[in-house]
Amino acid sequence: MEEGNSIIYGLEHQTRALCAQYECDAIRFLIGTQSLKPNSNQVHVVELEEDTGALHTKVYRHDVGEIWHLKCSPHDAATLMTTHNSYDPDTSQCTMGVSVFKLPTLDVIPKDLDELSAMQGRNAEEMELIKTIIPEKPEEEIRCSEWNPTDPNSIGIVFDNKVSVRDMAADRDVLTIVPEGRSRLKFSGGKWSLQAHHQFAVLQDTHIRCYDTRTECSKPAWSVEHAHRQLCRDLDFNPNRQFHLASAGDDAALNIWDYRSGKEPIFSRTDHSHWVWSVRYNSYHEQLLVTGSSDGRALLTAAASVCHLDHTAAPLLEDGVLQSYEQHEHSVYCVEWSSADPWTFASLSYDGRLVLSRVPRHFKYKILL
Amino acid sequence: MTDTQKEMEENSLDIDGGNFNSEMYLDCLLKCASLRQVMDKEAEIVNQSQYLQSEMQTLVYENYNKFISATETVRKMRSDFQIMQEEMNKLSENINKITAFSSQISESLKDSGNNVNRLCSTRQLLDKLQFLFLLPTQLNTAIQEKRYIDAVNDYVHAQKVLHKYGDQPSFQSIQTECSEIICALKKSLKERLLSPETSASELAESVGLLRQLQESDSSLQDIFLNCAESRLDQHLKVLSAMVDSTDILAWVEKCNNTLLADLGIVISCYDDIFQDKDSAHLPDFAQKVMSQVFKLFEDVVKRPENAGTEILIRGLDKFFRKLQAMSQIVCSDAVSSKALDVVVQCVNHKANLQKQTIQVQFKENLMKVRQSLASKGTENADLKDILNSLQVHLMQKIQASLLDLMAFLQSNLSFGLKPWCAQAVAEGCWRVISETLIDLSEMVKQMSVLQSSNNIPFELLLVLAKLCLDMQEQGVTTLHTHLTKLLEESAPGTTFEKKDTNSIMVSLSTAAQSALDSEVVYIGQMAAQMLRVSVLARDWLRAPEPRGPRAVCRRVVETLASADSAASQLFPTSLKPSSDSSRRTIWSRAPSSFSPINRLFSERIEVFSPAGADRAALSNGALKVALKALVECVRLRTFSRHGLQQLQVDVHFLQQRLSCMGNDERLLNALLEDALASAQLRCVDPQLMEPSIVDIICERG
Repeated sequence: MEEGNSIIYGLEHQTRALCAQYECDAIRFLIGTQSLKPNSNQVHVVELEEDTGALHTKVYRHDVGEIWHLKCSPHDAATLMTTHNSYDPDTSQCTMGVSVFKLPTLDVIPKDLDELSAMQGRNAEEMELIKTIIPEKPEEEIRCSEWNPTDPNSIGIVFDNKVSVRDMAADRDVLTIVPEGRSRLKFSGGKWSLQAHHQFAVLQDTHIRCYDTRTECSKPAWSVEHAHRQLCRDLDFNPNRQFHLASAGDDAALNIWDYRSGKEPIFSRTDHSHWVWSVRYNSYHEQLLVTGSSDGRALLTAAASVCHLDHTAAPLLEDGVLQSYEQHEHSVYCVEWSSADPWTFASLSYDGRLVLSRVPRHFKYKILL
Repeated sequence: MTDTQKEMEENSLDIDGGNFNSEMYLDCLLKCASLRQVMDKEAEIVNQSQYLQSEMQTLVYENYNKFISATETVRKMRSDFQIMQEEMNKLSENINKITAFSSQISESLKDSGNNVNRLCSTRQLLDKLQFLFLLPTQLNTAIQEKRYIDAVNDYVHAQKVLHKYGDQPSFQSIQTECSEIICALKKSLKERLLSPETSASELAESVGLLRQLQESDSSLQDIFLNCAESRLDQHLKVLSAMVDSTDILAWVEKCNNTLLADLGIVISCYDDIFQDKDSAHLPDFAQKVMSQVFKLFEDVVKRPENAGTEILIRGLDKFFRKLQAMSQIVCSDAVSSKALDVVVQCVNHKANLQKQTIQVQFKENLMKVRQSLASKGTENADLKDILNSLQVHLMQKIQASLLDLMAFLQSNLSFGLKPWCAQAVAEGCWRVISETLIDLSEMVKQMSVLQSSNNIPFELLLVLAKLCLDMQEQGVTTLHTHLTKLLEESAPGTTFEKKDTNSIMVSLSTAAQSALDSEVVYIGQMAAQMLRVSVLARDWLRAPEPRGPRAVCRRVVETLASADSAASQLFPTSLKPSSDSSRRTIWSRAPSSFSPINRLFSERIEVFSPAGADRAALSNGALKVALKALVECVRLRTFSRHGLQQLQVDVHFLQQRLSCMGNDERLLNALLEDALASAQLRCVDPQLMEPSIVDIICERG
């Protein structure tokens, strides 16, 4: 993959679920499709062979419904969790759910010609369904489900009107967080804190509120009120720096907050020209952020000024957009850094186009040297 | 010779002439005259001869008598002279005697004369001695009567003598007494120096006396300056107390009459007394006092009561005149340059005040406009009128304040015609213009940022954007030329260099841009919010068969239309490209919208992009924001067939109603196509309605 040349992978269906596979050495991404046709949804595993630049894929069937959200387990590379939705024509009712799967193999790159031909046939393989969680009331909408970064048995499920922390082993809800106040603002997403593993941050309208799951959760442990002028769409914790988090929202802004003093963002850019749906910190170089927006772009942004407060020797990049990736033609709902290579990230647009891109080489050298 | 001969011949015939020749006369007579005539002539001549004869006899007699009397007189004189001789001899004898006597007398008087001389000199000496002996008492009385000058003069006279004969015991006592008195005098003089009541002239006198009394210069200088300083300090205190209670005229009057006058006296006295031009004391001292004065003056100028131009200028004029006079006395460049600074500062201060007033008034106007917009409602507000009143008011205010500042250039002022003053006024004026406009643009920028939270009506944003644009296009240059003209009139010949109007224009245009952007986003978001809520809240799976466009679509259209009509009041309508495609039904090819081929031919739509300053562009901007939100929200939902058909009706309705706004039909259609295509993808049973039925439903609705 040369500089500026991104690799494009196309899927037949609409897509809005993407995740990097953790705990592995390969540049590997998982994609979930979104189709209302029964039994047509798939999970694609895409691996980039770094030496040759070739792209290898493996397809698994996902028959429980269209995938709204997908998350690989941070504890086991082969395990993944999808948030899905299916339509039952008999009751004219959509039902959402959360399922945990286990991939039969991690390998994607074919070892021999037989395997290659099998892959080229694109016959979807089966993966092992471990567990499905269905909400008590069928009309309840699930926004996403998140693995606890330290406890493999604990997951956080964000519904539109509550958040439940579930113990997978015991198969029961440990805790339920309901929106406070009379306004009952709906939840639109959430994430576990990377440093304080018992904290779960939720996106609620324009606010970010974080609850300590060891408490009753009647009040947030901390919050960033009015983090965006419109709806908050996504957040990501700084992997290296405690108290820092990045958020994205419908005001087209990327904000970075020190949530100990969450009145004003410590960094704010409005480079997109529509809602920003996804924001991710590079886990190796926290000054690099990638954002995906419904203006059909993925932007690589440097936030060096808020990452080098201690004046380390590392050279600073200039704040702002480093590179705009324009290979998408539709709204980009997901962006993810590779867990194996700090310079590669994937972006996924609604029309089923996955684009694997790299940080331009001169910026890479600037950071490294 | 012949002449004389002839004459002689003639004369010889004249009987009375000297050359009479009787022969010739007789011949001539005999020849010429008849007998008778000769006879007559003879008789006549005999007659005449007889007469002459008798006359001669008389004369002889007379002369004889006289001779006799003369002889007698001479005889008499001879006897008289003898007597005289005797008398003269006697006299000379007497004179000799007198001379002898007189020498005798002078001889005898010589001794007594010497005596008198000695007596006189003794008397003089005694007088002097008496003066000396009386000196202490005289000094005392003089001091008591405050005739210090006499006392010091006396003492200085006596001092030489005392110095000379100081070793004599009798003088010694006088000397000590005198020096004691003088010491006391010095002390009292010094005390007088230190006492605050003494006037500057008294002070100078005292110092002069002390100097005569041979006090050392440097200590005297110190004392002098210390005293002067303490006295000036008192003036300063009075003046600083006055700062809050009087107007500038009274203050300057007081300052000129007390402090500056005294300072002048002090300085000139100092120069008179010490004649020490090199000393660093005086300039430092003057500097110190003047800097305090300047500080106080600044305070005075800053008082709001003194903000009136007329009073300020008059006060400043007085002060400046005095300062100029002072600077001649002080001979210090610092004072004169500081004087210029004071004027320049005043100009700047005034300019700042003007700027602030303009800003405050503009804000008030803006408040009024906001209130009227809020009370009137948006429908019938005449935005053009509002814009005009704001703009005219602003321009008038700026021009009025420029005119006001020109008052500093009045020719009757002491600084009025100076080029540096004109320069300062020009700078001040330009500052008023530029800062007012920059402030305006900053304010507009701020308002457009705050827009979402502060609920500023979008009409106001439009008005402000237009105002900024107008100011940028015309206002800046108008004001610039106006200022140049004013300066030309008030101070001809001033070089007023061309100012940087560019940065102001840039600032204004960015402000206008941000206001427009904010307006577009505001309207767009308003519509987007309606669409978003309506799409997300509805259960599209259980939607009934569509009977007409949903109410929210009408509200969206109304919102966009009202913004469009507001924009049309202020921003020119660019000609709409005529298009036959407005009737085009868009669902026929909707599903293909997701094919890459279709995308290749349509440009990427930038939703939150800078809005152009015309009605169509503004409407386009708002449309984009609203409809893109619709697309995104639709994709988050799942539709039943009826739900999809309802959306189809909505989209058709929006297309019909919105195509008259904006000028980019392709944009509108692309976004609506996207919405419908997305809904089709999100539909469990994607069957669209017949276009004709949709038309009918829409018209019915």
